[in-house]
Amino acid sequence: MKPRPAFTRGAVSVVAGVAMWEICARALLENELLIPPPTSVARTFWSLAASGELNRHFVATATEFALGFGVACIVGVALGYLMGRYRWVDEIMEPWVAVLSSVPVVTLVPLIIVWFGIGMFAKVVVVFKVTLVAVTVNTSAGIKSVDRVWLELARSMRMSSWHTTWKIRLPAALPFIMTGMRLGVGRALLGVVLAELIASEAGLGYLLRESSEMWDSPKLFATIVLLVAIGLANFSLIRRVEQPMAPWRRTAEWSMDA
Amino acid sequence: MVDGRVSATARTILRLSSVVAGLLGWHYLAVVVVKDGGVLASPLEVLARAYEMTVVTGELYPHLFASSMIFFYGFGLSLIVAVPLGFVLASTRLAWDYANPWITAAYTAPGVAFAPILLFWFGIGTGSKVAIVFLACSFPVLLNVYHGMRVVNREYVELARCYRLTRWALFRHILLPASLPFILAGVRLAVGRGLTGVAVAEWFGASEGLGYLIFFAGQTLNVPTLFVGVAVFTGLGIAGFEIVRQVEKYATPWLAGGPWK
Repeated sequence: MKPRPAFTRGAVSVVAGVAMWEICARALLENELLIPPPTSVARTFWSLAASGELNRHFVATATEFALGFGVACIVGVALGYLMGRYRWVDEIMEPWVAVLSSVPVVTLVPLIIVWFGIGMFAKVVVVFKVTLVAVTVNTSAGIKSVDRVWLELARSMRMSSWHTTWKIRLPAALPFIMTGMRLGVGRALLGVVLAELIASEAGLGYLLRESSEMWDSPKLFATIVLLVAIGLANFSLIRRVEQPMAPWRRTAEWSMDA
Repeated sequence: MVDGRVSATARTILRLSSVVAGLLGWHYLAVVVVKDGGVLASPLEVLARAYEMTVVTGELYPHLFASSMIFFYGFGLSLIVAVPLGFVLASTRLAWDYANPWITAAYTAPGVAFAPILLFWFGIGTGSKVAIVFLACSFPVLLNVYHGMRVVNREYVELARCYRLTRWALFRHILLPASLPFILAGVRLAVGRGLTGVAVAEWFGASEGLGYLIFFAGQTLNVPTLFVGVAVFTGLGIAGFEIVRQVEKYATPWLAGGPWK
């Protein structure tokens, strides 16, 4: 069997692109500041990693992200469940969720900094806000769309309401919850980097800011490469997790509102 | 009440009272608990500030105008570039295979990452701002055009072959309408991302624009202005969504009430 042509072509394209970049940057541009050649980006990346600096910033961003994301998922699923289950909770929460979901998080960052300072906690709040909205809205939609037939079946089998929740409602809503998390991941990553870029003491956004202020473009590019790698890792990880979590639902290869 | 049978009036009352209670709570928090105008402003103060900025001094409009210009240049340019490019990538397998890794990388990375480079390249004038918005808008449009073209029902294409449609007719009468819902969904996403891009762009070295307004208000602890700025941004986002939705209704009437509503 031949290797997949799409994969081969992609790999060829990446290798060729990097080689072109190297040649162009070395031959055509006199000023390394504009586009540093990949070899000097790689060298900078290596020295940043070896000195532990990269690690420190990465850990800071990852911690903020994990805390905000984890708490938001728990709160979001609980809130979304209540909204989907009880009409009155839905009516009470709906205007606020609508407002929160239509406020672009970037515009909230200055306000969050005013309230929570420039430390880690402010970034946790940013991640929390973004993820909470995405998970709540999707969980509530999922709970509402549970097939009534299943609920009637549960009733005729005299399942307790606790049991119905765990065995029917939540599993049925799981694909929706996963969608919410997927949307949350991308936006939260953007939010956390942005908040760090504006004001922080550590994190990948801080690294971006520092290197661009010092016109250290190899360092800037090294940070960007790391961010791209994180984005790609997220993307492929979610693809792999989303399907097995809800094997009964066929996930489209591409959803329009990714 | 627990079982989802709440009458329409009861629902309106619940909703209204939730909003009123929220606003009252906010006012109480601002006036009685926090008592610091540099941290939290009451909704009344925000309203007063909004009135002042729009009617009394009119200082909001130059910012609004500056941001709109940047948005429309970046957004318009991204449509001009990304839509045809998406069609090209969808119609030639080879081009897609070669471009795929780069597009995926650029799309999945958090968009702000590229802002500092664009500033390096285009300076802190209009150029870099438009470039940031352009980059933010392009990828959702590009990818939606591509995937919209890829999911066109094969049978339609076969039918077109049977009728010996020219390539142009095939594109105009089958591929384009079939992928239109996806394209518009991409445009809708691009509106949101573009607005985010505007805010980000105006944080670096701008002297006007809504992003600058918000950022500067944050730095000077001018909370009422900050709230007004956030509200205007939110309003623009909602208006943009609504416009695209109307276009969707008009352009793809067969989807009315469909999954995209």
